[in-house]
Amino acid sequence: MRETVVTRDMVANPKTHYGDAKASTRHFITQRVTGLINVVFLGFLLFIVVRLAGQDRADMVTVIGNPVIGIPFAVLIAIVAVHMRNGMRDTLEDYFSGRMYRLVMLLNTLFCLIVAVAAIGSILKIVFWG
Amino acid sequence: MSVRARPTSPHLQIYRWTITMTMSIIHRATGIANYAGMALLALWLLAAAMDQEALNLVNLVYGSWFGQVVLFGFTWSLVHHMCGGLRHWVWDFATMMEPGQREAMAWATIAASVTITLLVWIVFVWVV
Repeated sequence: MRETVVTRDMVANPKTHYGDAKASTRHFITQRVTGLINVVFLGFLLFIVVRLAGQDRADMVTVIGNPVIGIPFAVLIAIVAVHMRNGMRDTLEDYFSGRMYRLVMLLNTLFCLIVAVAAIGSILKIVFWG
Repeated sequence: MSVRARPTSPHLQIYRWTITMTMSIIHRATGIANYAGMALLALWLLAAAMDQEALNLVNLVYGSWFGQVVLFGFTWSLVHHMCGGLRHWVWDFATMMEPGQREAMAWATIAASVTITLLVWIVFVWVV
């Protein structure tokens, strides 16, 4: 990806389509929609933590292993991971640019992916294999 | 020779500290904290999926006084980010943006997040 020199005129002129209009709108809407869904996630998280904090594995398997709880929780965590990546992207865009931005953005994606895979994988393991 | 003061350019410290600005900064800070905090949830679930020994270790760390302080902070961070997010969602409808209204919403955000966090911990952790 080649670096283009951004001038004031370029930013001011709407015809240059400075920035990616479609991707940015999608980013904005994705962030709002996932954010609203995260209210439900917080409810689930609260229920699960309150019910299971400090409990034994058997108790956790009983509650999270119930597909009615485990499966929606896994889906909600995937949505949280999208919100995390999008939100961190907003922050990174403010402080980094060019190659450095692409590097930290890669690390951002990796972190969100690892957290999501670890959490969802664990839940699915508990749901399907106990 | 006396050192004469040079002209200064406006920077952060010359602006009056406002509640909306504070909530904006805290919204970003709590977002970053939640980002890191999700790793704690993933670790807990991972330990539960593995075996009882791993879960015992996680329970020991999370149950220690330091773990509890972190989890209390994480609770507040999550709740505050949710309240801040809902505030932004209200703003997306281009309402509550006038002077006075936005400050009221900012104060409501911090009041709600502290109240909800304390309620959750008092009811579910300290009492039950």
